[in-house]
Amino acid sequence: MSRYIATRAIRGANAIVAEAEALLQKALAEKGPDTPVAFTNTAYYLPVIYGMLGHPVSKIGDMVPVLEHAKSLLHPPPDEKWWVPYLGETLDCGMATLLAEEIIEGIRFAYGEQPERYPGFRMTGSASFTSPEFEKEEGGGGYLNGPIDDIQLRSWGIQLVDGRMPGFAAIVGAARNNRAAVAIVRELQRRNILVFLCGNVNGRSIIDQLHEEGVEMGYDTYIVPFGRDTIAAIYPLGFATRSALTFGGLKPGQWREILLYNKYRVFAFVLALGEVDDLKYATAAGAISYGFPVIADTVIPQILPTGITRYEHVISMPWEEIEGETDEEKAARLVQKCIEVRGVKVKITEVPIPVPYGSAFEGEVVRKADMRVEFGGRASRAFEYLRMVPMDQVEDGKIEVIGPGFEDVPVGGAMDLGILVEVAGRKMQEDFEPVLERQIHYFINGASGVQHIGQRDIAWIRISKAAAEKGFNLRHFGDILYARFHADFGAIVDKVQVKIITDPALHAEWLQKAREAYDRRNRRLADLTDEAVDTFYSCVLCQSFAPTHCCVISPQRLGLCGAYNWLDCKASYEINPTGPNQPIQKGQCLDPVKGYFTGVNEYVRVASQGTVDQVAMYSIMENPMTACGCFECIVMVIPEANGVMVVSREDPSMTPAGMTFSTLAGMAGGGLQTPGVMGVGKYYLTSPKFLSADGGFKRVVWMSSFLKQTMAEELKAVCEREGDPDLLDKIADETVCTDVEGLLAYLTEKEHPALTMPPIF
Amino acid sequence: MPVEIPVEQWPGRVIEETLGATPAEGGTRSRVVKVGGENTLPFMLTDGEMPNPPRIAIEILDQRPKDWSPLLLEAWGDVVDDPAKWAKAAEEAGADLVLLQLSLTRDGGKPTTAADAKALTRAVLQATGLPILVFGPGQVDADNELLVAVAEEAAGERIVLGICEEKNYRTIVAAALANGHLVNGRTAMDVNLAKQLNILIADMGLPLDRIIMDPTTASLGYGIEYGYSVMERLRLAALQGDKMTQLPMLVTPGFEAWRQKEAKVGEGVPASWGDWRQRAVLWETLTATNLILSGADIVVLRHPETVKRVRAFIDRMMAK
Repeated sequence: MSRYIATRAIRGANAIVAEAEALLQKALAEKGPDTPVAFTNTAYYLPVIYGMLGHPVSKIGDMVPVLEHAKSLLHPPPDEKWWVPYLGETLDCGMATLLAEEIIEGIRFAYGEQPERYPGFRMTGSASFTSPEFEKEEGGGGYLNGPIDDIQLRSWGIQLVDGRMPGFAAIVGAARNNRAAVAIVRELQRRNILVFLCGNVNGRSIIDQLHEEGVEMGYDTYIVPFGRDTIAAIYPLGFATRSALTFGGLKPGQWREILLYNKYRVFAFVLALGEVDDLKYATAAGAISYGFPVIADTVIPQILPTGITRYEHVISMPWEEIEGETDEEKAARLVQKCIEVRGVKVKITEVPIPVPYGSAFEGEVVRKADMRVEFGGRASRAFEYLRMVPMDQVEDGKIEVIGPGFEDVPVGGAMDLGILVEVAGRKMQEDFEPVLERQIHYFINGASGVQHIGQRDIAWIRISKAAAEKGFNLRHFGDILYARFHADFGAIVDKVQVKIITDPALHAEWLQKAREAYDRRNRRLADLTDEAVDTFYSCVLCQSFAPTHCCVISPQRLGLCGAYNWLDCKASYEINPTGPNQPIQKGQCLDPVKGYFTGVNEYVRVASQGTVDQVAMYSIMENPMTACGCFECIVMVIPEANGVMVVSREDPSMTPAGMTFSTLAGMAGGGLQTPGVMGVGKYYLTSPKFLSADGGFKRVVWMSSFLKQTMAEELKAVCEREGDPDLLDKIADETVCTDVEGLLAYLTEKEHPALTMPPIF
Repeated sequence: MPVEIPVEQWPGRVIEETLGATPAEGGTRSRVVKVGGENTLPFMLTDGEMPNPPRIAIEILDQRPKDWSPLLLEAWGDVVDDPAKWAKAAEEAGADLVLLQLSLTRDGGKPTTAADAKALTRAVLQATGLPILVFGPGQVDADNELLVAVAEEAAGERIVLGICEEKNYRTIVAAALANGHLVNGRTAMDVNLAKQLNILIADMGLPLDRIIMDPTTASLGYGIEYGYSVMERLRLAALQGDKMTQLPMLVTPGFEAWRQKEAKVGEGVPASWGDWRQRAVLWETLTATNLILSGADIVVLRHPETVKRVRAFIDRMMAK
């Protein structure tokens, strides 16, 4: 906490409480304690006082204990020499300020001085139902809004709660000039953020600025002019308090819950334009208690640690130093910063490209004859690389095409392409890069007339003639990726920018960088062992048809369907914390060889509804993991051969077990533990933890030839790791034999190691 | 020889929820209806208690149904032209609750407006003293617009708003929060999806005792086993102590049974199927009673004769 801010806020609080006291004394003397006090059209009395203290104020006399309470919250400013903690004192003073401000506005109502008079001002549209009694004069105008009425509160509240409106901005003060004022407000409106206006700088308010520029203000335009002094900032906070009472099911007096409700559910922030005086600091300290951060467009001390607010408390972004040629550009950056600091999420519903878009187009093939241009494949090089960068290095929504488009490429020709996606997010982790990068395939494939194959530096993209004729160009790759990453991964990604690179020199440079990153990731994956983490993940996606099955996914054992590895689950949990992938704390390791963990056993017991008592992560013989029915391969013990066979889903042939894949599937699936039979993902075969309790990969005596061929390189590496480089040749397949006699003859001839290993039973 | 009946005791209990509010509680209902609260499987009254019997809701539409079986129209007569009269008739037919189903369009194909929805809700509330449920047409935009209006119009009445689904629940929940109502959350026959939606709704701040879950079901002969099994597992999980499944369940056997040809049509079916009237009512009754046995706390029915039979079934099962 900044001592400077603390000092000024505490000073401001002392001053405003004194002012409130003087005003209250005057009102008690002039009007008497029984004079009614009420904000118009609300059932929440003076809402901040009502919410925080549970004390309904309906007449002037009711304010006396409130003022006493405010006074009790005051503290002296921090000592110049002896620094003691002052965060609590500052926040107390902030709350005292809010109570004092509401007392003052309440008394002004009693005197008929609120809503504030503003000759010549007229609210737009249906604002008339706010305070019909003030509509009589000057042809229905002449007043600012004052507090928001309950009907509007409900209508906006529903939109704030259901997420259609991301939040509200309380603007205090005045912008550098009228054009900047309009630009900032438009920028907020564009994002559906409610705009609340109050305060002034040297007598000039943003309300004046917008009024002069002819900006319509009122409920219909989502811009509410509360009043031209700082004290009017109590109205937005009253709105926030009433939101918690209305939508949070909270009772007046539950101040802590009300403040927390606002911190976690009401995405509001204070935008301080122009000089910040003591009273503004004091009011801001009150707003911070609600979890609302303050962003100033002047030079003020910053408070960056998180705590009372979710992220930073106070941010200074001096207008003069904001990048940008025009006021509009500066406003865009300022508002973007506000959104980041408050953690407001952007919503994008449509992918803005000239061809139809949807998952229905994912499987589409673009044939050579129909092709306008291709990237990657035989004739050119294409790569895609997604990386995480710091927040301030991403300009959200920026899409650049660097280098020539494909206009000059002959029809049916090819060109080099690089897609560089840079993302930033508060919950983003480097481990999520490959998870997100793999989505590029699905996202781009969703465009009609575009085909995407492969990934990393073996990506291969085709654009059809029809798509090109409709105007599809390189930039649209960026549009697709920007929209989809926000829509699908908004939980972890806050900002996205895309660079489409065709410039030869830059392409070569980034291809090199991408390859270094792929390499780094590969090494990271190799280092990622079950011992290196303390959390595994569950997957219960398939419980709809296999009610007692629960996958336990560890770094070295991916899901049996092959679709979810440990990193995917980790990301999936961040994106959807209530979803099918939940963290499992490993707990105590009971048996490192067989892979028994207390946490896994406890989790599986509950998730299988008591059907499965314990799971050995690394054994097929003892308490093997259950399967749903989605396994890529079935592993089954062949007792005669003292080993196991691995049958792939693609293999329709008979096996030495006397059953085909489909017959075996009935035994392996359904959430049952059958020692000797297991459904697995094919990449589990390459894991050092594959049946490691039972002897590992050397136990494999028979394997579908499909696996041998499609995974030749990976399996060769496994054989080398196991110290038997020729092992793959010693493993039979359906072209060698489909019965046990043939299998044994082959194994003996090849001297397969399983024959001399300890008995598997 | 005395036989000792084994007693199965469960650590968990279904939440008891109150539908409707009397004038004393800020509403205008002549009585409230409580659902849930059981700590045992349905009717296992030797194992535990079932403070509230399964409740019967009768479904009424906001206008004359276009695709309902002629048997249903014949049973209700002219009241189907007026939701208020229909609601009153439903009360007289023995319903515990009235469910008003809004349609996407009004007469002449005009879209149903928020004002229509308010007027319909008001009319039904005035016609019956029973607690009501109001379901939107089932299209995201229309549901959100109409149910917000309905929620406002019925503020304080503790009605049930439906249907919340995973893709669209936030607006409806917000409207329920603001006006003191309950919501019905529907998921497609899956224990984990049901649980997840309950969590998502509760995360918005709606107390669990204002959420009813609708695990979706199927009619007799059209996959009822699957729905039965999902509901049974949800209930077992609830009784075992899983908080997020301890919500009363609502299902719609009326809708499910009456869209199958066994109930819906009388012509062009084998003669061996027997008398149409008998068969149709039996189809709905058996669908409903089976679902009650799997744990349903509210069944939504269509035919008045079914209501009588299901009521008789419940009474007999509840008898000590």
